[in-house]
Amino acid sequence: MNARRIRAVMAKEWRETVRDRIFLLLAFLLPVLWLVVFGYGLVIDVEQIRVVAVDRDRSALSRDYLSRFMESRYFDFVGYLDSERDVDELLRTAKIRAAVIIPDRFAERLLAGEPAAVQTLLDGTFPLYTDIAKGYIVAINTAFTGDLLAERLSRVYGMTREQADRAARPVRLEVRYLYNEEVRGTWSQVPALIMFSLMLASPLLTALGVVREKESGSIYNIYSSTVSRGEFLTGKLTTYLLIAMANVLMLWAIAVWLFDVPFKGSLLLFAVASALFAMVSTGIGLVISLLVQTQMAALVITIVVSTVPTFIFSGLMVPISSMSPGGQFQAHLFPSMYYTNILRGSFLKGVGWNVLWTDVLALGVFAVVLRVWGYWLFTKRPRL
Amino acid sequence: MTPAGMLARTGPWMRRLFVMTRKELLQLSRDVPLLLFLVYSFTVSVYISSAGVTMQLRQAALLVHDADHSRSSRDLIHRFQPPYFALHGEVNDPAEAVRQLDHGRAMALLDIPPRFQEVLREGAQPAVQLLVDTSNAAQGLSAAGYAARIVGQFAADAAAPVSTAGQRLRPLLESEHRVWFNPDQNEAWFQSVTHLLRMITIFSILLPAAALVREKERGTVEQLLVSPLTPFQIMFSKVVAMTAVILTATAVAVFAVMQPAFHVPMRGSAVLFFLLTALFIVTSAGFGLVISTLTRNQAQVGMITLLMVAPMMLLSGISAPFESMPPWVQSLMSVSPLRYYIDVTVGILLKGVGMDLLWKPALAMVGLGAAVFSAGIWRFRAQFD
Repeated sequence: MNARRIRAVMAKEWRETVRDRIFLLLAFLLPVLWLVVFGYGLVIDVEQIRVVAVDRDRSALSRDYLSRFMESRYFDFVGYLDSERDVDELLRTAKIRAAVIIPDRFAERLLAGEPAAVQTLLDGTFPLYTDIAKGYIVAINTAFTGDLLAERLSRVYGMTREQADRAARPVRLEVRYLYNEEVRGTWSQVPALIMFSLMLASPLLTALGVVREKESGSIYNIYSSTVSRGEFLTGKLTTYLLIAMANVLMLWAIAVWLFDVPFKGSLLLFAVASALFAMVSTGIGLVISLLVQTQMAALVITIVVSTVPTFIFSGLMVPISSMSPGGQFQAHLFPSMYYTNILRGSFLKGVGWNVLWTDVLALGVFAVVLRVWGYWLFTKRPRL
Repeated sequence: MTPAGMLARTGPWMRRLFVMTRKELLQLSRDVPLLLFLVYSFTVSVYISSAGVTMQLRQAALLVHDADHSRSSRDLIHRFQPPYFALHGEVNDPAEAVRQLDHGRAMALLDIPPRFQEVLREGAQPAVQLLVDTSNAAQGLSAAGYAARIVGQFAADAAAPVSTAGQRLRPLLESEHRVWFNPDQNEAWFQSVTHLLRMITIFSILLPAAALVREKERGTVEQLLVSPLTPFQIMFSKVVAMTAVILTATAVAVFAVMQPAFHVPMRGSAVLFFLLTALFIVTSAGFGLVISTLTRNQAQVGMITLLMVAPMMLLSGISAPFESMPPWVQSLMSVSPLRYYIDVTVGILLKGVGMDLLWKPALAMVGLGAAVFSAGIWRFRAQFD
């Protein structure tokens, strides 16, 4: 390994990147732009569920019950329907996601202390949202039952309001939120989006940097030069690694200063893990670029490989712990999950090496394996 | 013009388009790694991204600190059951639980105070505490929601004796849910459909864009321009070729993976589904063509495609609920064809609706497609004429 030759390869690579203005702009702008757009725009809380009501009872009590849907920020109360039959078309066209049907004699039964059933029809196409909507409805029903019971106890047994309230709700649940006390969606999304932005941009940058030379034939200059394959790969990858690290720095600054996400952990750990992750993401690009011949194949394969597992197996949107054992196994095969753990751990939990060392180690293994694989695939004597 | 005259004029026109399309298909078929990857993306990848993947909170690891050890406290603990919670053990000290939460080995701690049963019997409303990890806010909220449901039910059962003192009757609002379109809440349906949509989107933007810019990079576009081909034929032949390839891949994904492995239904018309899928591919390909006219090499195509594809995939309503997005995102996404195509796919596959209800998204895709194609051809002409 000759440091001068490595520097020469780096200088060549950097100049090529700088001279392609769109490429340069996007290499630095893309991750930042995504973090800002998704940080503000990607709301994964289920809110504003559009709901209609069919009120067969039309009593004061049923209106009182429905007003709880109107006041909730989780529901967007669209209006009343006369008949259940109209619900069908609205659900099919996704104009509403749920319908609440209040039966006849709703008030009469409840006020007499009898059970009454409220039926809800839910759109089941997105199971997650269906399940969450069900939860909100059950919560409204439980609260309503509690209020009714308290009122009945005070009316029938002459309890004071307070006594009745306590009797109607004999146990309270106090929830304390740890690490993200106000449960801000941005706080938990933004650190994970740092991973997402890096994972999408830097493999592509690297892959194209290599395949471009293969396809245009300029790689033959390298083949016939004194530059060894180790020097060539080191020089090339270091350039992209530096771009990725510059991105990490910008993303970190945006997370902390623009989104006010607290950074409670160790900066050193964060820096080491980010460098390793940058090595992994550039390594993915390198390996793909050496496996294919055309830029078109490199483009398609890199984009799919860096987006799809990142959506599903990183913990960004899909909880890893809820997956089947097979799904969890696959999640461990992709590097994004480990870096997401490190990011959420460092930003929100404030944990350090003693907790996160396994994740750092896993990233290290990925980085080494990808580098060795890339070195092994790259040859200065092209096979025909 | 007589019909025969029209035929004489459109004959060569069609033949040229056909020849160019054939050339594209041949060129694609020779890129073996790309073809293998295409097959992988629409088969194996659809399977592994959907089997056992759920976005709902399942088996949240729950620790318990029971300072009471009474019948009531045990009764409450045993209500925290799968599928929502999985008991992960008991701790003697809440600090130990926090350590486990730090490590990410557990997600929540249920803390039952001393004298829980006694206070409950006195009617003095004891409070149980739940400590939840909200480093992932959505999951933390789900866990808290499930816990509230369980404790609420426990409370309702505990309140029952109070009312039986006088009379048995008490008001109770029962929840009856009926879930439509996917009554078993089979999440593999949703996951495989959204995965398929992601794949179609990536391939239909990228393949035509890369194919066209490759001709620019290598200079072969100059040859095409001096041939009798019109700009529309040069561009559209690539779209036709890629649409045919992606449609075939989609059919394989639907009939060879999603139906046999996950029993994803096809409740509406399959013909309509593939027609509208073709429309979506062509529209997305139009975006790809615009990209290719704005760029000079494939590296730029890749970056600009990523720039567009990532927001489309995250914000169009296939990854997170569209209704809860901020208004500016909703208006931004009205130019994303994926936003309409999701309604089409879910509508035909799961809801069994037809054109009578889908004409709006279909029309939106036609409008978008026409707009981007005109823009693409205009840019193409401006560059080379």
